[in-house]
Amino acid sequence: MRKKISRIVVVLGTLCAATAIDAQSMFRGDPMHSGTYAGPAPRQFHRVKWKFPTGDRVISSPVFKDNVIYFGGDDGNVYAVNAATGHQIWKRVTNGPVPATPAVVNGTVYVGSYDGKFYAFDAQTGALKWKFATGGERRFEAKGLHGMQPKDQTIADPFDTFLSSPVVANGAVYFGSGDGNLYALDSATGDLRWKFKTGDVVHASPALAEGVLFFGSWDSYFYAVDATTGKEKWRFHGGEDPTMHNQVGFQSSPAVVNGTVYTGCRDANLYALDAATGKEKWRFFNDLSWVITSPAVADGKVFFATSDSSLYHVVDASSGKPIVRQQGKTYMFSSPAVAGDVVFIGVLNGTLEARDTKTGDLLWDFQVEKSKKNKGWVLTSDGKFNAPFLFHSNWREAPLVATDQQILVGGIYSSPLVVNGVIYFGSADGFLYALE
Amino acid sequence: MTAARALVRLVLILIVAVALTSRAEDVISGRWEGTAQIPDNELSVVIDLAQENGAWVGSIIIPGLGIKGVSLNDIRVQPPDVNFAVKGGPGIELKLRLDANNKLAGNLEQAGNRAPTTLQKTGPPQVEYPPRNTPVAKELEGEWKGDYEMLGNTRHVSIKFANHPDGAAADFVVVGRKHNVLPVDLVTQESDLVTVDSHEMGFSFEGRLRDGKLTGAIHQGAIETPLVLVRAK
Repeated sequence: MRKKISRIVVVLGTLCAATAIDAQSMFRGDPMHSGTYAGPAPRQFHRVKWKFPTGDRVISSPVFKDNVIYFGGDDGNVYAVNAATGHQIWKRVTNGPVPATPAVVNGTVYVGSYDGKFYAFDAQTGALKWKFATGGERRFEAKGLHGMQPKDQTIADPFDTFLSSPVVANGAVYFGSGDGNLYALDSATGDLRWKFKTGDVVHASPALAEGVLFFGSWDSYFYAVDATTGKEKWRFHGGEDPTMHNQVGFQSSPAVVNGTVYTGCRDANLYALDAATGKEKWRFFNDLSWVITSPAVADGKVFFATSDSSLYHVVDASSGKPIVRQQGKTYMFSSPAVAGDVVFIGVLNGTLEARDTKTGDLLWDFQVEKSKKNKGWVLTSDGKFNAPFLFHSNWREAPLVATDQQILVGGIYSSPLVVNGVIYFGSADGFLYALE
Repeated sequence: MTAARALVRLVLILIVAVALTSRAEDVISGRWEGTAQIPDNELSVVIDLAQENGAWVGSIIIPGLGIKGVSLNDIRVQPPDVNFAVKGGPGIELKLRLDANNKLAGNLEQAGNRAPTTLQKTGPPQVEYPPRNTPVAKELEGEWKGDYEMLGNTRHVSIKFANHPDGAAADFVVVGRKHNVLPVDLVTQESDLVTVDSHEMGFSFEGRLRDGKLTGAIHQGAIETPLVLVRAK
């Protein structure tokens, strides 16, 4: 009997481990985008296990499947790297930057590129299986964006950093596009099943739960769409900002847990919506500071962070009541990853932070070399963005150049992935890091 | 040595010391040009320093930072040391020393960062002075109120003008989600055109006083929103 029980335990353990590993092969860990990862997480930093160089920024978040790390590079490549050694297995070039996170399902790597194409590669060899042309990629843009001058000139948003990352289920792959559509393609052939048109750029990544896709658009609406038919079930209206277009649009990707959709918005709110009806359950206002991070949901708590106010928050998932509030050093676009009792988040000053899930206290941090060098005084001596020094003009390309300078300190936009106690993430310094 | 001789010697020493200090101060007065060696971003720096009525005044130009003719604060000249801050902006301080080659060398400091800086005298000072507050018309004195819309929220504006011997002053308050008391740098009236500027906050009001109303716009960065102020009751 004892033998039988222990055999069952072993089998269950293996199944759970397999599920956990599978749950690391797409953006935010799973189709619901919970942002939680099984397995141990280091409460202390020991060493850099390896770092993998690419030709440009790494904004994409890494995913894991069968001991291989997959991610995109702004150098236009999609990479497969040995998770243990950091050695390249293959790379495939696209014709544009790849600031999207791949999904790896049934031996295929799915990812979109700024060249306006969506790709399916063989996971083992990198061979192209198919590619699909969307209506073209573009960044969110508006006249007088963020108060830049000339105010009647259309300006592309330098903070529209990510591309939509795909979710794969039931023989279909779903992703958003700069052409304003959410696409559903046959995952085996790349044939179009349906597309759903919104009013502006869709760079948020759709989450899937109970046969419904949830995603936001830069048109200020958040949508629920039937995954089989592509028909709208409901839509929710976020904030508008017709003057500066600063406080508008869903850039954050949602998490769906226990019938509730959690999403950040550029209107400075974190929203909790009823997944069945779209009715607002609660909102958490962040004093005009964007919520770009995609929330993580674990143990009845929502973990997220803000941009300008640089605050790290944990709130109660059912009520939105604050539990933890910690002042960070600078903007956070990276999405928190919860593993055990540690939450990992990237900071745009080139630092990865490990915080205690209960208290939010900083356990350890890791700063990339470029950030330490602080060329051009992008950072203050205590690691905050030196905004008054950089953003001294709102004329012509000055704010865009300043944003590029910020990126050059090795900002961590990439959302961390935790597998077997190793933390993987990309940096704008051009490297993918593995820490343990 | 008699007491008289000692006194004469002391006076001579004092005269020489004062003369030397004056010479050093004369050397420091002028236009200084050079660079601050920020990593990957060498900045040109131009400083004008002069003495007026026994006090030091000065202004600074840093082309790479959009700083042109900005006043210097807390100027401390104790030869060979010359220290000062730049009014407003990103919080720059310069800590310099006159060296044997008559160059001002030291550091430009900002946000805890420090860059080696060397300046060379290139001519007489060309100090720029900030615009001064003008008096305002008697009918403008007192409190004016109005509302405008931003991001779907109403903002209540109050500006209270008062005349002083050195020009007018204004209390500038904007109430939205928060009660914001804006520090005012400049109040002017030219004919019927009235301006109130809070440079530090990037806020200003500009309007014309006509028919008992101040009709104009509030500027926040590049955003211009119409605003009509009426006298508070």
